[in-house]
Amino acid sequence: MKQHVAWLGLLAGVLAVGAPALRAQSSGDSLATAIRAYRNLEFEAAARLLRREVTRLSARRAPDTTVTRALVYLGAADLFRGQRDSAAAVFRRLLILDPGFRPSGLIFPPEVTAAFEGVRRETRSVVIAAPRDTVIILGGGSFAARLLATSFHTVEVTLRYEDGFPFRSLYYGPIADSLSVTWDGLDPTGNPPAVERLLLRVASHSPTGELVGVQQLPLQVRVVRADTLPWPTQPADSQFLPERSGSGPAKRALTGGLLLSAAVVSLPTIVGGTETSSGPRLAVAGSVGLAGLVGYFLHRPGRPLEANIRANHAVRETWQQRLATVQADNTRRVGDVRLAIRAGAPTSLQPRRP
Amino acid sequence: MKPWLVFLALGATVGPLAAQTRVTLGASVVSVRVRNELPVGGGALSGVAFGGEGTLSVGRWLLAVTYHQGTVHPDSGSTPARDLVEGGAAIGFRPLGWLTLEAGPRGRTYVFTSGTQRWLFWELRARAEETFIGSGVKGYAELWRAASANVSVPEPLDHAQGGEAGMTVRVSRMLEARVAYRIDHAVLGGGSRRETVDGIVVGVGLARR
Repeated sequence: MKQHVAWLGLLAGVLAVGAPALRAQSSGDSLATAIRAYRNLEFEAAARLLRREVTRLSARRAPDTTVTRALVYLGAADLFRGQRDSAAAVFRRLLILDPGFRPSGLIFPPEVTAAFEGVRRETRSVVIAAPRDTVIILGGGSFAARLLATSFHTVEVTLRYEDGFPFRSLYYGPIADSLSVTWDGLDPTGNPPAVERLLLRVASHSPTGELVGVQQLPLQVRVVRADTLPWPTQPADSQFLPERSGSGPAKRALTGGLLLSAAVVSLPTIVGGTETSSGPRLAVAGSVGLAGLVGYFLHRPGRPLEANIRANHAVRETWQQRLATVQADNTRRVGDVRLAIRAGAPTSLQPRRP
Repeated sequence: MKPWLVFLALGATVGPLAAQTRVTLGASVVSVRVRNELPVGGGALSGVAFGGEGTLSVGRWLLAVTYHQGTVHPDSGSTPARDLVEGGAAIGFRPLGWLTLEAGPRGRTYVFTSGTQRWLFWELRARAEETFIGSGVKGYAELWRAASANVSVPEPLDHAQGGEAGMTVRVSRMLEARVAYRIDHAVLGGGSRRETVDGIVVGVGLARR
């Protein structure tokens, strides 16, 4: 029993792993079947199959190359079915998807390539290609978007607010196959944008100036400012040495001298030799006492302590150097403003026809 | 307490001073005054002795040696002068930064024309030393007492003790100067004989860490 369950589990796993591949193969088979029908001159069946396939591929967000392949065969099938308008619409859709697409002369007869070329000449549309994430230095770098055009025409490239109001004009003029437009990340007044969402709008115009198509690329912009460093904390009072002598060393010298003098004078009494001459020990006691007195005046309270003053100066100097370094770094950081730009999915708008 | 326990306890206190080694070498002159009180009278002699001393400190332990030699002359009368030779050695331990305990022999010899008189003391010594003017002037005071003695005089020793107090001035990084007063007092034969030796010590020394 357990063996059966194991086999069933293995089978389910294989099916789960293989299902997407099978679906893709099925899709590929459908497209191949439709193309085979086209090659067998069964244009009605080919058109039906290809139209269904295009719908399915578009719904599944299949790669553009697959969709364009289906579309060009669909356009050719419609053309040979005598549905020229339908074929033109298919070719137009193909060109909007991939402005650089050209049907191969080795696969398609001149009727198809000529019809496609005619549609291309009449179709005025662009595709916006831009990196998903870009970070630029404001004023120093630029965001670049590449425009791919179906045919030579005039485009107006603007940045707009979300509600459609103009933000900044980037380009107005002709476009042939492609065009690169750049934006330095600033608004018309030279400041970083005050909003977080913009639209890169490319409007295609006919030779008569009529608006024939609009492509929009949503841009999410964010001003990135480097954090400034905190200033180094001022040296604590405990780091400074006293710059004026206190009364301790002076008292210590005086007291030490007196105590030591007393010890010298009283030594004979302590050890029992009282019959000694007092002259030598008084001389030593006097010397020690005098030294203590001199020490008192040398270390008198309030006397400037040069070594401590120098040490404190070094502490302050070190702190000021660190402060200056941080201030310079912060100045650089304040000036280092960057703009992070994230491009969304482009959308296409068709102008209303009268 | 057993002696090895004492040494173990002392060794445990070596601590951070263990790595410090200090050597001092000095030369000094001592103005010696010797006063004797004998059953048959007494006398006083004075003179000058020259000598030197040295210490080797390793951590809290130290080894000290001294040697002085001179001649003392009677202050009055026709007693002949005698040579004085004094030397000692001691091993010390510093339980506190300012306190040193020492123990060791110290001998003193008077050389007469008729013979030699020897005094040998086994001393226990305590020395307190601390700076009192800035960091360059140290004051010190020490006391010693003889634990036993061997004296070549007829009277038995009752007790002997002494002390020294003075200051050392660090003249430069290595050079020190010293001035001190010292006194030794010995009582023998139930007080029938007393001898007091005192004087001023002036010396210079070199200290190297």
